Formats: sequence, structure tokens, C-alpha cells
Amino acid sequence: MRIKVWGARGSVPSPGPETTRYGGNTSCVQVTLSDGTIVVMDAGTGIRNLGLTLAGPAPRVNILLTHLHLDHIQGLMFFAPAFRPQTEIVIWGPKSSEASLESRIARYISAPLSPVEVRELPCDVSFREAPATEWEIGPAHLRAASVTHRGPTLGYRLTEGDRSVCYIPDHEPGLGASLHDLTPEWISGYDLAHDASLLIHDCQYSDDEYPDHVGWGHSPLRDALTFAHRVESERVLLFHHDPLHSDDFLDAFAGTATERWCELGGAAERLELAVERREIDLG
Amino acid sequence: MEGQRSLELILARNLLSSISTPAFLVDADGVLVFYNEAAGGLLGRRFEEAGKMSAEEWGAAFGPFDNHGQPIPFDRLPLTIALREGRPAHASHCIHSQTGEQHDIEVSALPLVSTDGGFRGALAIFWPMAEAQEYGG
Repeated sequence: MRIKVWGARGSVPSPGPETTRYGGNTSCVQVTLSDGTIVVMDAGTGIRNLGLTLAGPAPRVNILLTHLHLDHIQGLMFFAPAFRPQTEIVIWGPKSSEASLESRIARYISAPLSPVEVRELPCDVSFREAPATEWEIGPAHLRAASVTHRGPTLGYRLTEGDRSVCYIPDHEPGLGASLHDLTPEWISGYDLAHDASLLIHDCQYSDDEYPDHVGWGHSPLRDALTFAHRVESERVLLFHHDPLHSDDFLDAFAGTATERWCELGGAAERLELAVERREIDLG
Repeated sequence: MEGQRSLELILARNLLSSISTPAFLVDADGVLVFYNEAAGGLLGRRFEEAGKMSAEEWGAAFGPFDNHGQPIPFDRLPLTIALREGRPAHASHCIHSQTGEQHDIEVSALPLVSTDGGFRGALAIFWPMAEAQEYGG
């Protein structure tokens, strides 16, 4: 299972000289399974660059949307394979009592926000609400679970053989609770992330920034680390960087994160900040 | 480890932990899975001491009772109505604390239904009548 980060930024794309190293594209992670099956987690602006690499007759592409905030779907309209009739795209996302997944996405891919409508996409696109039970894509088993964020939001766990990646890019599990004190059953996302080979997790804010953003649906460093420590994931990729965080800020932030991670008993080489184009081979 | 709680119960518990209004939380099976510190003060026992309880156990431990001291049938309790009928319910009755005190309370129970329509449980907030009168209730 190979992982590639195409966008690690949260909230809004933030291109510019200050963000060239960590990248300014919003959430998008590619997972390539052993048989070549491609699963894309979220369709932020990072998916545009991913699409450019899928130049040939693309196989079926599965896109797992955690939720429908703009920074997680904005790249859909610019995903090149969506404009090829021979491509099959399956878009998975959270269920809502308000409207179907397709209708909710169509609010973005429609006038006046978009020059094309969902029904005009040349590819074979279908929309599926993520089931409450495990399902399969290629050789992988998938699970989805609702997690603490604003609005219906999922985290995903994708397992192939004995390797697994858990993706929870927008998550505030410490809202109104101390993650140190809660028993596992009461920690949002615990089951999904427990023992994952790789945990990709929200870490939008520093601890100093968090008091001004409580309830916005994102984690400060202390909660991201505590969550990762509690769920005992093998490796951790801190994700969804705040658009105001420059490369220099994130370099310093990474240093602080590693220090704090080691204080919790973690190994320094098992923790990193997500960087655009970073590839990780999980074996 | 216990099975993972649903997000709706987790969020409800976090809310109840953060307020000073006494409140209970039950899961979809009617098991009392949490009550907050304010409720513990009224009931005379902290949740950490009591632990989770079946509907029968919490009924036996705390009541409630009517004005004549008779136990109120389980199916007439606001929490039971919220659980079984999936609608809010309200009542006034009396509970006994573990320290032998009696409290007249107002109870409002609300069902917890997820965005995908799944029934997750119910929460009940209750308010001592004496305090309600102080606030003009």
C-alpha cells in the first residue's frame, strides 16, 4: 500500500512563496493498493495535480470524501479523469438526512459556482453514501465512522492485509473533554484509528492558537498528539495545516511536535508533518 | 474495552460534562451510560462511583416516585417515552438521593437521532423545583 499526499492544507488553498515546501493545496491523499487500485481520500485542490498523473485510460477511481466543506471538494471540477468518458469514478461520502450525496455535491458543481453540472461530466460517475458496515474496494477493506467536526463528517480506515491507513483530516476529539481522561469508548474516532499502520490526522492549530478556535472542528497540537498516542498508531502524519502557517512556522512546529511526541513516549521518526508530494510505502 | 460509542452519544456526553444543569444520558438500549457532576450532586453519588446501569437498576436506585411516594411506572418516565417513542417528553416527579434526601424535580427528555436517521439514545435534563422557583419557574 502506497500513500501520496497531494494536498495537506486546511480551509483554503494557500499558494505563495511562504508555502512552497509544505504546499498550499487542500486535502487530498492518494492510496495505491497492491493491485493498482487507486483510492483518493478527499478532493481538495490537491486532486488536480493527482489527476494530471492519471493521463492514460484511467481505471476506476474511488474518491472517499470525509465531508463536503469546500476545502475537501473544491478540486473535483478540476480532476482531469472526470472529463474522460472512459473513466469510472465512484464518489463515497457521508449520509445526511437533508439530501442525497449527489444533490449536496451538485450544489457546488452547478451554476453559478461552476460552468459544468454534475450530469454533464463525461465520465461514468456515481455517488454512494458510505455504509455503516465494512465494505471492499479492490483488495482493501474499508470502514467509515462519524467523527467530531462541524456537520456530517467521516473518518476512514483502509486495510489491506496487515497494513492500514486511517484518515481523519478534520477532527476535534478534545472538544469539551480531556483526551487524557476519557476511556477509549468515549473518544471520537478511537476504534477507527486504533493500531493503524499510519494515522493521518488533523493538527490545524498550535496550542496557543486553539483558544480562539474552540468548536471550529479542528485539533490543536496537544490533542492531535494525545489522540495519536491513545490510539497507538504506528506512524503519524499531522495534516490540515492552517493556511496562515508558513513553511518556517511549520518547520518550528514540527520541532515542537516531535519534542512533545517523544515526551509521550513516541519515537521521533514515527511522527511527521504532512508535506505535499510526500510518499510513504506502508509495505 | 467497551464498544465504541456513537458520535452523537460522545458529543452529548461532552456537552453534559460541560454544563451545570443536572443531566442523564442513556444509550439506545436504555442503559444509563453517563450522568454529569451536577446530577451526581443531586443523586448523592458520582457517576464514576455508580458506573453504567440498566434501566431497571437506575429506576431502583433513584426512583422516580409520584407525590404519594409510589414508584412511577417505567413506561411513563420521560426518558422511556423519548427512547421508545422517539419524541421529547416532560414530567414533574420526585427522586430519592443515595443520601436519603428527596428532591422534587422537573425532567425533560430528548431522543438523540443521528443525521442518517439512526436512533442513538436519549438525554434527560432535570431541575430541582426549589431552584426553579427561585428563578421564577
